[in-house]
Amino acid sequence: MSRFIRWQGIAGFMVVMALIITFVYLFADALVKKGIEKSGEMYLGAEVNVTNVEIKYSPLTLNIEGFQATDPKKPTHNLVSFSQASAGVDVWQYLFGKLHINELNIVGLRIDQPRQSAGEVFFLADDVAENDKAGAIDSALSDIDMSLPTVDDLLNNSDLLTVKQGKALEQSYQTEMEKLKSLNKTLPNKDSLASYKEQVTALSKTKIKSLADLEKLKTDFKALKKQFQADRAIVKQAKQQVTASKEILTKQTLALKNAPQADWTNIERKYQLEDVDGADFAHMLFGEQAREYFGYGETVYQKVAPLVSGSNTDAQNAAKQAELAKSQGRYIHFNEENPMPDVLIEQANFSLLLPQGEFAISGTELTHQHWMRAKNSIVNVESDNVQGAGKLTLTIEFALDKEQVLSSDGKWQLEQVNLKDVSLQESSAFNLQLNSGVLSGGGTFSILDEQLDSETKLNLENTQYSGVGTSNLSTLFIDTVQSLKALALTITAKGKVTEPEFSISSPLDKQLKKSMMKQVSNKLTSFKTDVKAGLNTKLTDALGISNKEGQSFVDLETVVNDTDKALENLMNSDVVKAKKKEFEDKQKKKLEDKLKKKLGKLFG
Amino acid sequence: MLTLLAKLLNALNSESSTRQISLAIALGFIVGLSPLLTLHNIVLLFLVLFLRVNIGGFILAMGFFKGLSYLLSSTIVSVGESLLSAESLQSLFNVLYQFSIFKLAHLHHTYTLGALVLGCLLAIPLYFICNFLVEKYRLHVKTFFEKFRIVKALKASKFYSVYCQVSGQGAIS
Repeated sequence: MSRFIRWQGIAGFMVVMALIITFVYLFADALVKKGIEKSGEMYLGAEVNVTNVEIKYSPLTLNIEGFQATDPKKPTHNLVSFSQASAGVDVWQYLFGKLHINELNIVGLRIDQPRQSAGEVFFLADDVAENDKAGAIDSALSDIDMSLPTVDDLLNNSDLLTVKQGKALEQSYQTEMEKLKSLNKTLPNKDSLASYKEQVTALSKTKIKSLADLEKLKTDFKALKKQFQADRAIVKQAKQQVTASKEILTKQTLALKNAPQADWTNIERKYQLEDVDGADFAHMLFGEQAREYFGYGETVYQKVAPLVSGSNTDAQNAAKQAELAKSQGRYIHFNEENPMPDVLIEQANFSLLLPQGEFAISGTELTHQHWMRAKNSIVNVESDNVQGAGKLTLTIEFALDKEQVLSSDGKWQLEQVNLKDVSLQESSAFNLQLNSGVLSGGGTFSILDEQLDSETKLNLENTQYSGVGTSNLSTLFIDTVQSLKALALTITAKGKVTEPEFSISSPLDKQLKKSMMKQVSNKLTSFKTDVKAGLNTKLTDALGISNKEGQSFVDLETVVNDTDKALENLMNSDVVKAKKKEFEDKQKKKLEDKLKKKLGKLFG
Repeated sequence: MLTLLAKLLNALNSESSTRQISLAIALGFIVGLSPLLTLHNIVLLFLVLFLRVNIGGFILAMGFFKGLSYLLSSTIVSVGESLLSAESLQSLFNVLYQFSIFKLAHLHHTYTLGALVLGCLLAIPLYFICNFLVEKYRLHVKTFFEKFRIVKALKASKFYSVYCQVSGQGAIS
């Protein structure tokens, strides 16, 4: 047996194992510290520092002190830092290849804090595309030009449709009349018609004594008819021309009648008179701010979603994960009686310190495999010192299903938040700043498969504004805003989380419109009246010219119709028929007389 | 390192069983392919120390095959992946997964399972190849190489003195 077995090997094994355990025990802290720093640097591409790591083994707890992760885009600042963190890890699950943290506490979590010395940047990660939408909404007011031209200048403008259509109608009358007049010259005149009538009368008075006379009458009338037909063809052509001209002139008259309204619409558009009526003041004032705040939410979503949804949202990350799984392998978990997610934080507590205040964040059941325990992740955020004494409560609930579809619901409430020196608008038209105000509000949101549906209601009270305008209208606008001491806003954001469509509505719109319209209405009303009156005069003038021309057109039309009728009558006259009948009757009578005479002789 | 190499050469030249050397290399191959701190490696380490196998040969083989494993990692992972995701083996793995020891051994990890299966399968032919080569070495190569001047020069080197100390032959003057 001793030929194959080395009994002292057991002692050797014990020694080796003891050495391994001692090594791990002695150097685990340093190894984990190095591991956190290196993996953090690989992920961020910038220096990560950890002051100290301490591991306690019963129960297994990891304590991290002084964590700082350099912002690769701003190396003088930390992207994130915290003073202390502790995580209680389930050893058994860890040995099975799962990370199950019973409780995670992070104290003094800060974002974007300056570093003592600039951190080293190794590479700039391909980050989410910057949503630099600053200045995306140009102030509509910058385009509103209230220096309206004088009514006379406007009406003398040759681009006015009323003027153009009037001239076009006049031109058309002339053209069409010339056509008709030239045709009129070719029409049979009154003398020709009288001559035709005389010829027909002469034919009707012809004495028919024999069939040869009748035949001659027929031939003469046929020749005359041929002439009538030729003349009728000319008349027909003239009639067609009259119809075509009539159609053209009717259309142009209608266009002329509509032209003043079209002109007014164009004037309204050109001088932004419509915008004064329908300007979205709330959006102009608060749109950029709303987008900025939603932008923070979107950034958080972009950072968290790939971690939560197993990189489903990021193709590049997915490819990286696949590459990693191919070279280093992966765990494949099978069915269990009590399945556990690969990563689970049962309870997390953070205290987040921002310039706006201190926020207590707590989370339960944080994982990316919610279907395993059929529990949703819940995150609560609370603060009672937002911008001084403001209160915030926020609750988010989210879950991922097996198909990696994220669904999330949340609601929040904000009370008595003091706002100070918030820039609302900086454009070429005007600058407006909210010097002070108290904000309260609340909202709900839901995300389903990257589709956001959110509604936020805000009330701003005790407001004080300051600003400078560069035009009459913008100055007027600022004055109006400054006169408001409170306002309510409803902001809705719908659509893709990364590109939501905003809608901001407020009674402010009505208030501002009412107030502004009152001030501009006098100027605008008289301008409207004068321009419309001028346009109508132009219409009347143009139609007056047309009426004169129209009379001669009607006269010409009557002539054509009368000529056509006269020719038709002449053509339809039954001279031959009448003469034929007359001749036949005569012959009949002659025969009858002859017969009577012969029978009288016979019967005596 | 020199001592280890000397020990291996000593074993090759000594009367140690060729099977002890071959088994050491085969076990070193299995351990070398797998991630270092795994349950089955601890068991194999116990076997190496408990059974009379050449420890020097085991350590050298483990180091050599650890280096080789980096080149074979994608093959190892694909073997593990195909086994763990094979439809026909799902019921077997489902049963095994219920045992804590299976999960503790990380046999549900594609790399670990792939390395163990590939290591165990290839260790068998490797064992016989090593057996054959050691025998051939002892029969032909050793005597053949001893004729070369370089070998004679090596025998005069520090390495050879270490080798001799290890083998207990003493330095040759």
